[in-house]
Amino acid sequence: MEILLQLTVSGIALGMIYAVIAFGYQLTFATSGTLNFGQGEALMLGALTGLTLVGHMGYWVMIPLVMLFGAAQGIVVERLGVAPAMKTKSEFGWIMATIALGIIFKNTAENIWGKDDLKFPSPLSEEPLKFLGVRVLPMEILVVIGAIVMMLAVELFNRRSIYGKAVVATSNDRDAAGLMGINTGMVITFSYALSSLTAAFAGVLVAPLTLTGATMGTVLGLKAFAVAIIGGLNSGMGVIVGGLILGIAETTTGFYISTGYKDVPGLVLLLLVLAIKPAGLFGKAAIKKV
Amino acid sequence: MLKIRNLTAGYGKVQVLYGISIEVTRGQVVTLIGSNGAGKTTTMRAVSGMIKPSGGEIRLADRDITGLPSHKITRAGLAHSPEGRRVFASLSVTDNLLLGAFPRLTFSRARGDVNADLERVFELFPRLRERRSQVAGTLSGGEQQMLAMGRALMLNPDVLLLDEPSMGLAPLLVEEVFRTIARLKGEGITMLLVEQFAAAALTVADYGYVLENGRIAVHGAAAKLKDDPAVRAAYLGQAH
Repeated sequence: MEILLQLTVSGIALGMIYAVIAFGYQLTFATSGTLNFGQGEALMLGALTGLTLVGHMGYWVMIPLVMLFGAAQGIVVERLGVAPAMKTKSEFGWIMATIALGIIFKNTAENIWGKDDLKFPSPLSEEPLKFLGVRVLPMEILVVIGAIVMMLAVELFNRRSIYGKAVVATSNDRDAAGLMGINTGMVITFSYALSSLTAAFAGVLVAPLTLTGATMGTVLGLKAFAVAIIGGLNSGMGVIVGGLILGIAETTTGFYISTGYKDVPGLVLLLLVLAIKPAGLFGKAAIKKV
Repeated sequence: MLKIRNLTAGYGKVQVLYGISIEVTRGQVVTLIGSNGAGKTTTMRAVSGMIKPSGGEIRLADRDITGLPSHKITRAGLAHSPEGRRVFASLSVTDNLLLGAFPRLTFSRARGDVNADLERVFELFPRLRERRSQVAGTLSGGEQQMLAMGRALMLNPDVLLLDEPSMGLAPLLVEEVFRTIARLKGEGITMLLVEQFAAAALTVADYGYVLENGRIAVHGAAAKLKDDPAVRAAYLGQAH
C-alpha cells in the first residue's frame, strides 16, 4: 500500500508536467486549429537555455527570462511554420512545418549543448520529505504547484481581461471575432507565444528532476500529445486528469510489471479513447444554435 | 457615410457580385432586398472585410476601406451583425457585448462611456439583462439575435450592417426586431439592412435597392419601391 502511494505521488509530478505541455497544445489548437508538433523541442530549448542562464544567476531570476525566450521561440514557429501554411489555406502544411522546425531546433541544440545529457542544479533541497512513509522531493512539489499556477494564470487572463476574452472569442468563431475589431492573426501568434512559453516553463521545472539534453523533449512532447488527445483538445480539466492518469500509469506499470512496458498502458488508453470517444474523455462538442 | 461603387466579389472562381453601387447617407436606413442567392450577404461580407472584394471601391466616411481586413474596418467604425448571428457561444452575454466594444476598450477607437452603452443595450433588450451571466450558446434564437444586434451597437458604429436579423424567428419576434430597427433609426443610427421580409424592410427604410443575380435591378425611395408593380410582384408577394 505504501509503495502504491509512493508510486502515485511520483506519478502525479510526472503527470502534471504532461498536463502543462498538453495545455500548451490546447492553446494553439483553440485559436487556430493547428498544433505545434515541436512543443517538446520548445520545452527542451527552455530547459537548456535555463541551464546556461542559471550559471550566471539564481534559478528564480532565470525563470522569467526563460519564459520570455519561450514566447519569442513560439512567435518564430508561428511566423515561419504556421502563418504561411494558413495563408495558403494548406490544410496540412503546418504539420510538416512544425515537425521540421522541431528537428532543426533539436539539431541546433545538439550543436550548442552537445549530445550528452547534462545535470540541472536543483534550486531546492534534494533531500526527500516524508509524509506517511511516502518520500516526496521538494522539486516534485514545486512542479505540481508551478503547473497549476501556470494554468490558472492563463485561465484568469482569459476570463478577466478583455484581451483574454478576445482570445476566447477567436477560438469560438474567428470570422466573428474579426468583426469585433480583433486582429485574429495576432491572437494566433500570441497563442503560439503563450504555448511555447508554457513549454519552456515546464522545461525548467522538470529539468532538475530529469537529465537535460537535446533529446529530452521528443518523448515528453509526444506523451503530452497523447494526454491532450485522451483528455480532449478543448478541455482544461481533461489535460490534468489525462496527465495524472498517464503519469500514474507509467510509474505503477514501471514498478509492478516492468519499466520496459511503462509506456504501454497510457498508449493503450490513447487507442481506446480514439476508438470510443474521439473527442477525448472531457472533450465536448461545441454548442451551436442556428 | 457609406459609398459602394462598382463592387465585384465572389468566392474563389465563383463570381457573385457584378459591379454594384450603393450609397447610405448619414442617419438613413437603406435596405437591400432580393431573392436567395442574389448576393445580399456577399455584399455585406465584402463591405465588412469578411471576404476580399475583387474590384470596386468602398468608402466609409470618405475613407477608402476597400480590401482592408475586417478588424481594421470595424475599428474604422463599421459594425456588422452577420447572418446566422455568430455569437460567441462559450462566453456570457455581457462578455459578448463587451467584445462588441473591443476597439473602444483597447484604444483603437474613441472610448466614450462603455458602461452607459451597455446599460443602453440592456434597456433596448431587457431579455439580455435578465440573461447577462448566461452563456450565449444556451440562448434561444431570438435572444441570440438581440445579442448579435446589441453586440454590434456596442461599437458605437458610424454605420451598422444588419444581415437578415429576422431569419428563423417566430412572427412575434420578427415584429419585435423591426420595432427595434425603427427605434434605432429614431436614435439616428445609420443602417444598411438586408432582409427577406421585403415589405417590412421597405416600411422601415428610407431607400431601397433590389439585387438580382449580383446586379442592382432597381433602386429608389423605399415608399416608391413599395408601390412599384414589378417589385411588388417579385418580392412583396402581392402579384394578384
